[in-house]
Amino acid sequence: MKGNGAFVKRAMVIGGGIAGISASLDLGNAGYDVVLVEKLPSIGGRMLQLSETFPTLDCAQCTLTPKTVETGQHPRIKLVTYSEVEGIEGKAGDFSVSIRRKAAYVDWERCTGCGLCQQKCPSKNPSEFDRGMGLGKAIYTLSPQAVPNKPVIDPSHCRYFKEGKCRVCEKICPVKAIDYEQKDRLVEERVGAIVVAVGFDLIPKESFGEYGYGELPDLIDGLAFERLNSASGPTTGEIRRPSDGKVPKEVVFIQCTGSRDPERYMPYCSRVCCMYTAKHARLYKHKVHDGQAYIFYMDIRSTGKGYEEFIQQGMEEEGILYLRGRVSRIFRDGEKLIVWGADTLTGRKVEVSADLVVLATAMTPRKEAKELAKKLGIEADDHGFLTEAERKLRPVETKVEGIYLAGCAQGPKDIADSVAHANAAASKVQALFAKH
Amino acid sequence: MRKLGVFICHCGVNIAGTVDVKSVAEEMGRVEDVAHSTDYIYMCSEPGQQIIREAIREKGLEGVVVACCSPSMHENTFRKAVKSQGMNPYLCEIANIREQCSWVHQKDREEATRKAAEIILATLEKVRKNESLEPIAMAIDRRVLVIGGGIAGMTAALDLAEGGYGVVLIEREPGLGGHMAQLSRTFPDLDPALPGLVAKASAVERHPKINLLCYSELEDVKGYVGNFDLTVRKKATLVDWEKCNGCGDCIRDCPVEYASPFERGLGMRKAIDLFYPDSVPSKPVIDREHCQYFLDKGCRRCEEICPKKAINFAQKDERIELKAGAIVVATGYELYPMERLGEYGYGQIPDVIDGLAFERMLSPNGPTRGKILRPSDGKVPKEMVFIQCVASRDPDRYMPYCSRVCCMYTAKHASFYKEQVPDGQPYIFYMDIRSDCKGYEEFLQKTIEERGLLYLRGRVSRVFQDDGKVRVLGVDTLTGRMVEVAADMVVLATAIVPSPGVKDLAAKLRATVDRHGFLTEAHIKLYPVESSTKGIYLAGCGQSPKDISDTVSQASATASKIQALLSTDKLLQDPLIAFVDEGICSGCGICVEICPYEAREMDRRRGISVVHEALCQGCGACIAACPNFACELRNSSASQTLRMVDTFVA
Repeated sequence: MKGNGAFVKRAMVIGGGIAGISASLDLGNAGYDVVLVEKLPSIGGRMLQLSETFPTLDCAQCTLTPKTVETGQHPRIKLVTYSEVEGIEGKAGDFSVSIRRKAAYVDWERCTGCGLCQQKCPSKNPSEFDRGMGLGKAIYTLSPQAVPNKPVIDPSHCRYFKEGKCRVCEKICPVKAIDYEQKDRLVEERVGAIVVAVGFDLIPKESFGEYGYGELPDLIDGLAFERLNSASGPTTGEIRRPSDGKVPKEVVFIQCTGSRDPERYMPYCSRVCCMYTAKHARLYKHKVHDGQAYIFYMDIRSTGKGYEEFIQQGMEEEGILYLRGRVSRIFRDGEKLIVWGADTLTGRKVEVSADLVVLATAMTPRKEAKELAKKLGIEADDHGFLTEAERKLRPVETKVEGIYLAGCAQGPKDIADSVAHANAAASKVQALFAKH
Repeated sequence: MRKLGVFICHCGVNIAGTVDVKSVAEEMGRVEDVAHSTDYIYMCSEPGQQIIREAIREKGLEGVVVACCSPSMHENTFRKAVKSQGMNPYLCEIANIREQCSWVHQKDREEATRKAAEIILATLEKVRKNESLEPIAMAIDRRVLVIGGGIAGMTAALDLAEGGYGVVLIEREPGLGGHMAQLSRTFPDLDPALPGLVAKASAVERHPKINLLCYSELEDVKGYVGNFDLTVRKKATLVDWEKCNGCGDCIRDCPVEYASPFERGLGMRKAIDLFYPDSVPSKPVIDREHCQYFLDKGCRRCEEICPKKAINFAQKDERIELKAGAIVVATGYELYPMERLGEYGYGQIPDVIDGLAFERMLSPNGPTRGKILRPSDGKVPKEMVFIQCVASRDPDRYMPYCSRVCCMYTAKHASFYKEQVPDGQPYIFYMDIRSDCKGYEEFLQKTIEERGLLYLRGRVSRVFQDDGKVRVLGVDTLTGRMVEVAADMVVLATAIVPSPGVKDLAAKLRATVDRHGFLTEAHIKLYPVESSTKGIYLAGCGQSPKDISDTVSQASATASKIQALLSTDKLLQDPLIAFVDEGICSGCGICVEICPYEAREMDRRRGISVVHEALCQGCGACIAACPNFACELRNSSASQTLRMVDTFVA
């Protein structure tokens, strides 16, 4: 596609999570061509890691997979996964974006997604998708329901790349799709507008000295607890603690870990932790009826539709114990984790001897977000969240015409707000295209 | 005999955790005409759909039952999947074994498994007799009606107009802006609310694609997605806006003054006046309730003074007929009335005001020109109490939900107060501090530190007038002590409630509301801006409390959805509608009376009742009402239904 001066009515969406998917589907359904660029081998983003979602407790897979499938099959959406934006030039109506397509070491044109290679791969390594709790293979897809359902080889774990032998996947592949010689490729896409939906990360639990620098195996973060709850997770949905596989009888949830703490961590509120912690505690109680859930909190923030009611139900009907206060220290004592905190309502010190501790760690921007912002010529705040043109009346626009924001890349938000934000970005793109 | 397939979804553990899916799959495999029966962890995923597609191809299936969640979730997903293999999509049916089985029988695996099998067997009965059907294609109207001219409605209207679609924006008040026009400055950036708002309102007024109808209300709606027929009542302004040049002479000379609702009763307005001083459009209306001419036929000063002869006391309400393909409902909110709050003095204490009244006080164009003066005697209050969560988060007495914006605006209010009255002391009673959006926590922390705001965590039990003061009795739950403040003025952050009349409007639109009157979205995550009625979209606080930024996003989101809807030439509708056996119909007309969608009509010539295919929603009311069993629903015939019932009672 060569530039001929015409306004290109084709959009790029960077990031294939629920925000990027929502924006892409809106634009595709409105009749515009979309290039959806995703860093990972398949789309779905963080939401794919979740078990059930608040406040309805619908399973995340059930709400998301039809959207990933629709995106994958959409005649107007071109999926460019396992790829990152390398550089960008031009202006609204005529952006030229160069994209690095990372070497998958698998010829996706040939691959049928049969999964044999993954079954036979002898390498076992902690799965990042399962937050290190399950074992993954060196040739992998993110889930059996991945879109596209094509594997990639991780050279840092692959025996052939590390030791020069193995090649089991190559031998087993019925369509000869394995290609160890594959190289990264640079491709160009010409688009008229860009939606940036690169999502979020969590502060690593290793950052918290007072909570044992991530050295305590039974101290996990919120996303890890999601994986423990997921039918597709490492315990097929049973709540079992990582160290010994036992069902935890006392679980402590700690909200605001790394959030609202301007001196040491992030000054902002991460917006979703109050709700997902309440959900975690409720799901835990659904599965471990005689278990006790404690939640340490600063303020309970349940501001969305039906959220307050959800929290109240957890407290009143499911016997979840809320303690208002911060936790000062967590340490191991035999098989238990001792949690020291304060209950600011009674003014007393609290000590809980827990089997499992779940930290609601702060949401942060993706570490590459700042650099991407630089490439795009848009602004990011000190933390790396991308800056909107005007907070109230222009929440999805940036200072650059033709570049829009969607979802948590702009700031922490829940799924419903991310979806609305993404739809809004799509609306702005449509208006831009309609003008030309 | 049709070859049928049964596909049972685990839904992770949602179904498989309660129902023994393997044994049900085996049992279904033994049914005579079931050629294929299997289960999978997520049937709606790509590999799940692939299993269905392959089975159709390889086993030559002629009908499919997917046992999974409610059809409202994924009926469409699976119908698309079977269609890709050339099967008529209406030969695929959903057996709901999640909402109607596994979720409600979590404690009884055996019974749940038995029930799941029965639900599937019954659905097989239905599929055996299903007909192949084609969707009904309908022409669509590309115009959009937006109801409500607040920030949500204006944003949706502008996005749609910019996208090239014609918009009719109707607003009940004489001007645009809604509640945002009452605000002073907005959190967390503290910039004035009015300039941005007025710029937007002017853009709406000027936009060639937007037909702005102020002082207008939706009176009647007929039709369906793509083809709504609307009647709008344009209320008589008693001023000919075509002639009026907005000079303001009439307002200046009008002798009648009364408490202005826009100023929350703190300021006055004239009987002929603008919606508010900077209102767009800048045209006045006459309030019949207060105008001297309508009270005793006297006065007519405005008529005399008007240089354009625009006053028209004889003007009548006007009815305008319109068409639209989609509707955005952006009807906004109101605050919980103080008159119903006994513990705060039933709105009778002059120095107890609500958040919007305080906004008016803070506004440079407000009744005190931005000065904080207490209403009773105009003194500067030295001790101020702000009370959050008034009537919110109080399921036993008021509203159970959180109103989402009060924590932030109260912090803002207290901060402005300290700025104006540096030696004054603000107290804020709160339950939890909720500052959960971008920059909010930082704003709050900074405000508390810089302004020395005193936050007290606890509820207030009583507020009463005592010797020129307003006494506030409360508790501080952090110290466990009772607190009593002798305040000069009290600001209540009262709950956000849906704006009045929204229930009636929803009934006209056949949209649903929750028990509080907030409009209900089709699905909180999948379809957050769609209502459960096709073609009706929701924006802003009419759906639930939200701040300006989220309202704007949501409003733009509706515009995006509507553009996708209207970008096609023809709209396809499910053909699962009523049909009439012309040989049996006696033409009694009961169905015509009972149909809520006006889809039934008498064919006088033939003496029978007919179905308007585009209007029929397949609700089944006429089928139940027909005394002769002359009408049936496509693919839900009486014989199909009876066979399904037989399965359960057998």
